[in-house]
Amino acid sequence: MKTDNKLKGRDLINVGIYGAIYFVILFAVAMLGMIPIFLPLLSVLVPILGGIPFMLFLTKVKKPGMIFIFAMIMGILMLLTGMGPWPLLTCAVAGLLAELCFKSGAYKSAKKAVLSYGLFSMWIFGNYLPLFTDYEGYFAQRADYGEAYISAVQKLMPLWMAPVLLIACFVCGILGGLLGRALLKKHFEKAGLA
Amino acid sequence: MAYSSERSQEARRGFLDPRTKLALVLILALFVMGGLGGEALRSIKTVLSALPFALLLVERQGKRFLRGVLMLAVGYGLLFALPYLPGVLNFIALMCGGILTRFVVTVVMGEYLIASTSVSEFISAMERLHMPQAVTIPMSVMFRLFPTIGAEWRSIRRAMRMRGIHLGGAKGTQVLEYQLVPMMTSTVRIGEELSASALTRGLGGPVRRTNICRIGFRAQDCVLLAGCLFVIAVWILEICGVALW
Repeated sequence: MKTDNKLKGRDLINVGIYGAIYFVILFAVAMLGMIPIFLPLLSVLVPILGGIPFMLFLTKVKKPGMIFIFAMIMGILMLLTGMGPWPLLTCAVAGLLAELCFKSGAYKSAKKAVLSYGLFSMWIFGNYLPLFTDYEGYFAQRADYGEAYISAVQKLMPLWMAPVLLIACFVCGILGGLLGRALLKKHFEKAGLA
Repeated sequence: MAYSSERSQEARRGFLDPRTKLALVLILALFVMGGLGGEALRSIKTVLSALPFALLLVERQGKRFLRGVLMLAVGYGLLFALPYLPGVLNFIALMCGGILTRFVVTVVMGEYLIASTSVSEFISAMERLHMPQAVTIPMSVMFRLFPTIGAEWRSIRRAMRMRGIHLGGAKGTQVLEYQLVPMMTSTVRIGEELSASALTRGLGGPVRRTNICRIGFRAQDCVLLAGCLFVIAVWILEICGVALW
């Protein structure tokens, strides 16, 4: 039936529930970014930890649009928490790719789910974009963090790190997806949630 | 019940319209956190940073206000003490101070938004902005869930600490599995109950929902919205190269 594909209240509420869990984890981990060494590591930690709620979320996704909305909500929240408009853009692209990928697996393929989370995780790159598009300006703005912080970050984040971070997001997204699946099997299925 | 009459709705009505609050959050996010704008906006930014604190006072949220001030004081205290501290301590102080001073304004604004806006008010404001349901429903569910997740997280951590599972404890590596997983399980459970209750009350139905909440712009909203426009105007002028002062 055609109407079955329309998003209903319950689907949107599910987006909200899992989005909230994902965002709380994201925000907690992002605090670590204040330590210079953790700034590039965010592209490793966030995808891996976020994989747990996201894989749980994917078990509820049966209709087109949910992953894209999830991604856009993340983008809006990043805008509201001061990461600027860049994440909105990457969220739209990554969300769309993840959506198409999971759709090609008819919304049930486990392998496609992991791959889809890998693609979705690439939105995190949007948080780094202001650093790379305006290298000088970014550090000028953060001058009050002190010399030590800035030189440490500059050492850790040369321009060639940009593609590395993007790939790291994707690869760790896959790892996070696998971790999420493992936990899903071990815990959530037992608890009757997945 | 408090919800039953129009008059009690009027008494519960917040100081600001939810739409004004959203505009303020956006302005704060872009200019204070996101660092848009340069020298000309510096003094404006100071005023903007003080705004959430003032709003908390207006809403008589003394506890939250004090917590915010305390965070700010500790943060600046640490940054101030920075030059006098040796190596590792210096680093830790920079980190904590940086986190506190940078995030405190957003955290306080977020707390204000969540503490002073009921979900009904939020939904009704979003409807008047003609936001699609695909945005409104997930967002309002999230706002409703954040405090719940916090409470769940605290009690689970307390329980697991008793079993020696905490960061730095004997079983520190199991933190992920034994704290994160139960947190998610209980949040999802709570969320499902919430969703059942919301659906019963017609959320996401095909018909437009009515709402008893009284929202609308009053004098204070107009002043603050004008302030937002002013900030944007100054910013645009600055980009165009017009110096105001």
